[in-house]
Amino acid sequence: MTSPRTETLERAATSPSAPRRPDPGTRRSQRRTFTVRKSLTILAFLSPALIFVIIFVYYPMIAGSQMAFRNWNLSNLTDTSWVGFKNFAAILTDPVFYTVLRNTAVWVVASLVPQFVIGFALALWLRRKFAFRGLYQALIFFPWAISGFLIGILFRWMFNSEFGVINDLLSKVGLTDQAIPWLADPTTAMVAIIIANVWYGVTFFTIMILAALQSVPEELFEAAALDGAGKTRTLFRITIPYIRTTLALTVLLRVIWIFNFPDIIFGMTGGGPANQTHIITTWMIATTQRGDYGQASALGLIVVGILLIFSIFYLLAIREKKAVTT
Amino acid sequence: MIHKKTCAWTGLGLATALALSGCSAASDAADGTVNLQMVESLTNPARTDVLKGLISDFEAKNPGITVELISPPTEQADQKIQQMLQSGTGVDVLEVRDITVGPFSTNGWLYDMSDELAGWDGWDDLTVNAAKYATNADGKSYYIPYGFYGASLFYRTDLIKEAGFSAPPTSWDELLTQATALQDESKSQFGYAFRGGKNGNTNVVLAIEAYVADQIDQDNAFKLTDGSTIFAAPEAADALETYFALFENASPPSSVAWGYPEMVEGFANGSTGFLLQDPEVIATLEQAQSISVDQWTTAPMPTGPTGKAIQPMATAGWGTAESSEHKAESAKLISFLSEGDASTTFTQKNSLVSILKDAADSDFYKTGAWASYVTMNENPDTYITAVQPRDSSWWTDWIQKSDSELQQVLIGQMTQKELLASWDAYWVEKWKNA
Repeated sequence: MTSPRTETLERAATSPSAPRRPDPGTRRSQRRTFTVRKSLTILAFLSPALIFVIIFVYYPMIAGSQMAFRNWNLSNLTDTSWVGFKNFAAILTDPVFYTVLRNTAVWVVASLVPQFVIGFALALWLRRKFAFRGLYQALIFFPWAISGFLIGILFRWMFNSEFGVINDLLSKVGLTDQAIPWLADPTTAMVAIIIANVWYGVTFFTIMILAALQSVPEELFEAAALDGAGKTRTLFRITIPYIRTTLALTVLLRVIWIFNFPDIIFGMTGGGPANQTHIITTWMIATTQRGDYGQASALGLIVVGILLIFSIFYLLAIREKKAVTT
Repeated sequence: MIHKKTCAWTGLGLATALALSGCSAASDAADGTVNLQMVESLTNPARTDVLKGLISDFEAKNPGITVELISPPTEQADQKIQQMLQSGTGVDVLEVRDITVGPFSTNGWLYDMSDELAGWDGWDDLTVNAAKYATNADGKSYYIPYGFYGASLFYRTDLIKEAGFSAPPTSWDELLTQATALQDESKSQFGYAFRGGKNGNTNVVLAIEAYVADQIDQDNAFKLTDGSTIFAAPEAADALETYFALFENASPPSSVAWGYPEMVEGFANGSTGFLLQDPEVIATLEQAQSISVDQWTTAPMPTGPTGKAIQPMATAGWGTAESSEHKAESAKLISFLSEGDASTTFTQKNSLVSILKDAADSDFYKTGAWASYVTMNENPDTYITAVQPRDSSWWTDWIQKSDSELQQVLIGQMTQKELLASWDAYWVEKWKNA
């Protein structure tokens, strides 16, 4: 049962008042003063940035995409003829591709969930005021400042079966009596790279969620407390609904980033043993390393396609949910 | 208003100029001094320092030429070089590797230096191997090697003595016996630093080559004299049996994933007794904390049942870009680096096998861990030099394929027989289409 007062508070929390629309008359007069000359001036000011973005982002993107339909191999650039969908066919008929797809799904889900839960918990903890809070915050944010490839190399040594600190610790606390060959076995290698990624990515959620938490008005908590709402109820009825949009967007961003994050895997296993820890993006790097930019580019387009479809469905789902709850 | 407008346009112009200025290449000085752009690939800080020292010697001797050295990080270097060559600007002299010379020359990016180097005195000083790489089968000189990376067997003198062996292993079979004797997993003591990870294919291929050394085509170490691949020979199956027994009986289980750093660390921290590696490891091991210099040395590469082994010759050198406008000056710099003191300094400081004939006489190469290289070079009938097809345009594809399949055998997803069949089919197919 929810008290009527809490309900009102929830509504206030979930539907922040929309900015007031300007008076139609004012808008019209604004538009009139917005002359061609003015818009040209604005365009002129924007043009360096626009030209820059077109030259350095869109042009390479389009130029890169067309390689997907050509025989573009660095070992021989004398023949770069158009080959239609041959590169895509080569990828789809390669059995490794399906292992890679499965790995990508495992990599994203198994990294994201713990990152989110731990990140959320840390953010809630850091929100409270206590001594040396700033220091703790800095320490927790630290992994975000390290290059992913370096993290991969560090964890590669930590997970080393014979000289690594992880096996050493496990045997010292008596959890294992035999060294675990972490990176030599496909399953344990997958676990190891996911642990490294969780360590790295928790920070992102902590930063984003903490920022969102700080925007929740203190009065809401005070009112909830007055109404006798416990900690759990406050969390699920006040905090989460208030920051829901941030949560949804951080999860979306993070899914895309984890999907596109080959650094740790590359540093730790290079996709091995026997391609069993490759995700699409590490496989794409491996493809460019053997000079086949045609296939790599095709893989790139496949990644864009998957992420686009995912984003559309995800955003639709969120909108739906929002429509239902409000 | 005018003032505002002028400001706006000036700002715009400035911004554009700033953006574009980043794209222009360095040009030569007005006084006629030629500025050479040189780019290296296998970059490391110590090597870059050596190279810079040699460049300043060159500049002192050639007042009209200055050299600007570009040192991209190793892992991206070849791609950077590729981009520079493709754009056709910004590079005169470049580091060409035996694995990049194929694609670079096919794409028309490398200049044949034969004319510039026709009268070069240094030709006579080059070893047979160096000369072989300096002029390819078509008579073109795309690069002059600066040195060679050749393998030898690093071993722990104290450990094999304790295990009751009086001499290091000479063959793969003996290596298996001795390494197995050293293995004691309960004490974290392992026999052999097995390479299962990145570039793991190199050592298994060395084993196969040693087993078929009698029949090998010296111009193509993946081919037998009868034209078939080395992987199709029955001896190759024997080689694999011994080689994978090394993994099963005498190596750390996690070595499925071991690449260069783990192998060297394993030997340097005293965990493994044997290591098959390049001479550059000598310098690393001399600095090792866990083992002292008198606890280890090197032996020549293990031989097959034939009593012979194939010396793999990995190399890199200096070449000129086709797009360079200073080809004569570039050739001058390359010949300077490829002869006399400059070459000796570079090879010794980087632990490379020298390209110069008289290097074998110097004390540096005669003593300690280097002695095994001299032994190998002095016995060319036992340690046969054969050229691996590293210049094939599909070489990196082969590395990825063979590394992955080697790991599949190690984790039980493929049999040894299937591995050989797959490798044989791969090369037969490639040669048929080439």
